[in-house]
Amino acid sequence: MKHWILLSAALLLAACATSVERVAPDSTIDLSGAWNDTDSRLVAEEMIQDALSRPWIGEFAGRTGKRPVVIVGTVRNLSHEHINVKTFVADMERALINSGRVDFVASRDDRGEVRDERMDQDLNAREDTRNAAGQELGADFMMQGQINTIIDVEGKEQVRYYQVDLTLISMADNRKVWLGQKKIKKYVKNAKLRY
Amino acid sequence: MMLQSLALTLLCSAILVLQGCSAWQVNQAAASLAVAGPQATLDRLQPLVPANRDLAQYKLNTGVLKLYLGDWQGSRQDLAEAKSILQFAQAVSVTENLAALTANETLRTYNGTPTDQVLVHVMLALGYLLEGDLDGARVEMLQANVTMQQLAKEDSTAGQLASARFMAGLIYELNGEWDDALISYRRCYSILRDRSEPIPQALQTGLLNLTRRQGFQQEYQQFSQQFGREAHSPSADEGEWFLVYLDGVVSSKTETRISVFDAEVDTMVSVVMPHYRNSTYLPRELTLAGEVQRQRSGILENLEARAREDLEAERAKILAAATVRAVAKYKMVQEAQSKNDFSGILMNIATVVSEQADVRSWNMLPASIQVARITTSLKVPVNVLEKGQALPALAEFSRRGRAVVLASSLTDQVYVWPALPEPTESGETHAAQ
Repeated sequence: MKHWILLSAALLLAACATSVERVAPDSTIDLSGAWNDTDSRLVAEEMIQDALSRPWIGEFAGRTGKRPVVIVGTVRNLSHEHINVKTFVADMERALINSGRVDFVASRDDRGEVRDERMDQDLNAREDTRNAAGQELGADFMMQGQINTIIDVEGKEQVRYYQVDLTLISMADNRKVWLGQKKIKKYVKNAKLRY
Repeated sequence: MMLQSLALTLLCSAILVLQGCSAWQVNQAAASLAVAGPQATLDRLQPLVPANRDLAQYKLNTGVLKLYLGDWQGSRQDLAEAKSILQFAQAVSVTENLAALTANETLRTYNGTPTDQVLVHVMLALGYLLEGDLDGARVEMLQANVTMQQLAKEDSTAGQLASARFMAGLIYELNGEWDDALISYRRCYSILRDRSEPIPQALQTGLLNLTRRQGFQQEYQQFSQQFGREAHSPSADEGEWFLVYLDGVVSSKTETRISVFDAEVDTMVSVVMPHYRNSTYLPRELTLAGEVQRQRSGILENLEARAREDLEAERAKILAAATVRAVAKYKMVQEAQSKNDFSGILMNIATVVSEQADVRSWNMLPASIQVARITTSLKVPVNVLEKGQALPALAEFSRRGRAVVLASSLTDQVYVWPALPEPTESGETHAAQ
């Protein structure tokens, strides 16, 4: 009898212990129903595929004879969740640059640090290694976007609808040359009981 | 023998619960918050290690204290943790219910009142806003809307907070989302009207300005007639100041114990209920003064009233549980007495000692949330009169021509969004980090 009690206690304690398991980065694990890495990845993949298959790149290259230069503007999170939009924007930037068909320049936030470094080089770096100011590459297009959500809730049930919209705007004439859109819909049932 | 062991276990648990009850220590700290101030109270709370079931209450309190102190990141971290526990604890726990029905209500995880569940979003939104993250604040207000939707009942305004609606309206206005701002202000107005509470001037201004701006002429005329004034939207060289003032400290719960001794069977039966003493809160206002216009803050949310309403709404449920528990404990004592007298006495002591009211609450909240709103020239500084704080002209730091001031009666500090260029000469005004 005592053994059984001890065994049960041990099992109970084991159930309370923290467990960690390595999983593939692209595996889908939904815990709360909130926006997660899988959503971010799905959005990035869809947007990249779409952006690269549209005529704006070819038209620009044909007209100017060079690759389009893109800058990432603001991607606003207008959703019901605190979403880190930088993850899928970074995924997109990486895939677009790696495609060899687009150049990206540093965003407003990033380039401040680069300019500081350039100024520092002016003072402290050897002349033959300095990078001069005023030689930056101007962007041809700006990417802007937003994430919106609509949430319908009744008791413990929710329908969460996410819509991600990205737009590429021509810096020369404000033309919108590409509109990317990805929608995700989730039906979430929260537990009514817990242990 | 078995009953003796059970009685001893109950007694020991009761003593342990009493000794280690961080909730009791939190309540003690809350009682002295108005005198000691938020920093000393936070210092007092930080060494405590609350039980998991009390963690939400603890984090809510440390979160709001950090908000008073301008520690936006710390506040956000604590409040977000509390929010997630509150959400998790909405599911009914089988074991906690069993424990609550046999020992006492404090063995349940603190899952917050309807007011707590909504107000946590408001406090988080204030933190995000003052930190300069307007979109983050907007997210919180959208979540507050979902929470209020979940709590909505046709016959009650429980969990419907005017402060949450007003904050949402304010954040939409700061974003230039005029239609959503108007909808939020309308809902805020409806809540106050349903509660027969006065409409603060800041809300009146919002309703008048936005109904006229959006072209709702009939509605504008109605509001104009009701409030006895016209809209005054800022002109090109004017801007607006919004004040959110957190005044006082909300009351803590105490317990009422009714003990009955049944001489026939030598048994003491206790029923303990949480309750609030009559409120002694006297609101103090704060005045926002520009060159021409000045406005005293008006109460938007009377949290003293909300706390009492929430408890009142739960009273029947708490009483029913206390009655079931009293019957169960009475039976246990009878059972023990039938074995031998000593067991009976021990069991009776254990059942009486273990009977405790759940007096946990978010008790470091302000007693009221007040608001004010004035229009000034972009080039004219404003004063927060009772604090003796001068704030620079909007033109010096606000691209949008709007600023939000957060003040609390518990500190002399005043926080401003957007961040001020640098502290004023007195060095007492702190820019949002």
